[in-house]
Parts: sequence; C-alpha cells; structure tokens
Amino acid sequence: MLKIIGAVFIIVATTWTGFEASRHLTERPRQLRQLKSALQSLEAEIMYGHTPLHEAARRLASQLSKPISWFFESFSKKLTNSETTVKDAWEESLQEVWKLTALKQGEYEIMKQFGETLGRHDRFSQQKQIRLALTHLEREEADAYDKQSRYEKMMKSLGFLSGLLLVILLM
Amino acid sequence: MGLEVDIIFKIAGVGIVVAFLHTILDQVGKKEYAQWVTLFGFIYILFMVASIVDELFQKIKSVFLFQG
Repeated sequence: MLKIIGAVFIIVATTWTGFEASRHLTERPRQLRQLKSALQSLEAEIMYGHTPLHEAARRLASQLSKPISWFFESFSKKLTNSETTVKDAWEESLQEVWKLTALKQGEYEIMKQFGETLGRHDRFSQQKQIRLALTHLEREEADAYDKQSRYEKMMKSLGFLSGLLLVILLM
Repeated sequence: MGLEVDIIFKIAGVGIVVAFLHTILDQVGKKEYAQWVTLFGFIYILFMVASIVDELFQKIKSVFLFQG
C-alpha cells in the first residue's frame, strides 16, 4: 500500500515537472509577441503622441498584460521617483522583471542594447532603433516558435515516462 | 514462483517504457539521446538477467555436484 502511494507521488511529481517545462516553452513566444507589441506602441507614443517617456511607459503598463506590464511599471516608477538616467532605469527594471518571465538571454541582450539608445536621439533615429529591436525580436520569436512546436509534446511525455521508468526500477 | 513472474513483468515494463522514450526522442530529432536511453535500459536488464542466470547455475551446481 505504502509502495503504491510512493509510486503515485513520484509519477505526479515528474509529470508536473514535464508540464511545467512545456508551459515555459509555450509562454516564451506569447511574451515575445507582447514585447513586440509593446515596442510598437512605444514607437507610436513617441512618433505621433510626443509623449514623455515615463508617461508612455505608464500607459504601456496599463495596456499590456502581466509579466511585461511589470517591467514598464517599474521603469516608469524609476523615471518619476528617482534621479537616474534612462539607461540605468531601463537596465535595472529589466534585471528585476526578467526572472519572472519565460524569456531568455538573447532577448535580454536585445532589450538592453535598445535601452542604451533610448532617449538619446531625435525622434526619427529613435524610430529606427525601435525598428531594429523589433527585427531582432522577430528573429527570436521565430526561434521560440520552432522550439515550442518541436519540444512541447516531448517535455510532457518525457516527464510522465521518466516517472514511470523510475517507479518500475525502484519496485 | 511469484518472484519470477514479478521479474518478468518488470522486464516487460522497462522494455515498453524505454521503447516509448526511444520513439519520442527519435521523433524530435534527438537520435543520440534515444540511443543512450535504449543502451542503458538494455544494460540494466542484462544485469538483472545475469544475476538470475547466476542463481540458476548455482542451483544446478548444488544439485549435481552436491555442494552448498
């Protein structure tokens, strides 16, 4: 009886791990898409709205959904409340929020490089920089989609099957 | 007799699970991992079978050579 309970625990744990890993894989393209639409909105705010950066960031935070909106929220708070440069505020917010998202190192570098150009040029150069970051993000998104379609199912079945194997070996 | 039936089921279970793992890893293009999994499953079962065969030989020895 105790054996069966232990076996059930092991299988549940490994299956859960597999599902968690596959959820991570599905979250990444979704969040990348959100990040892209955030940058597009930022472009619109800068080009057509002439909105100041902290204002634009606050609007973006209210428009977007959870993990990405935290980033813009903390960015806007840092800009209004403390005496930092845009680059530092951007980088600090990135570091704070990044662990809570499903995004990887490649996107982090792209966003960091984009943050270094933010607020240092006139509107048209800024637009070009946003376009550049968007192109890079699109590349990452294609990569994320590819990985999702290949490994999502594998992670689920791998979790369950490795649990089953462990149970059989320990029996 | 109960023990032997148990072991046969165990071998069958390991075989089925390893076969599934092999197919899945093959499908996503991780051929090298698939081969390693199969190899380890094979070695594990080989050890198990070897110890059972060893028991059999000991028994035969004790029957025909009047030892132990």
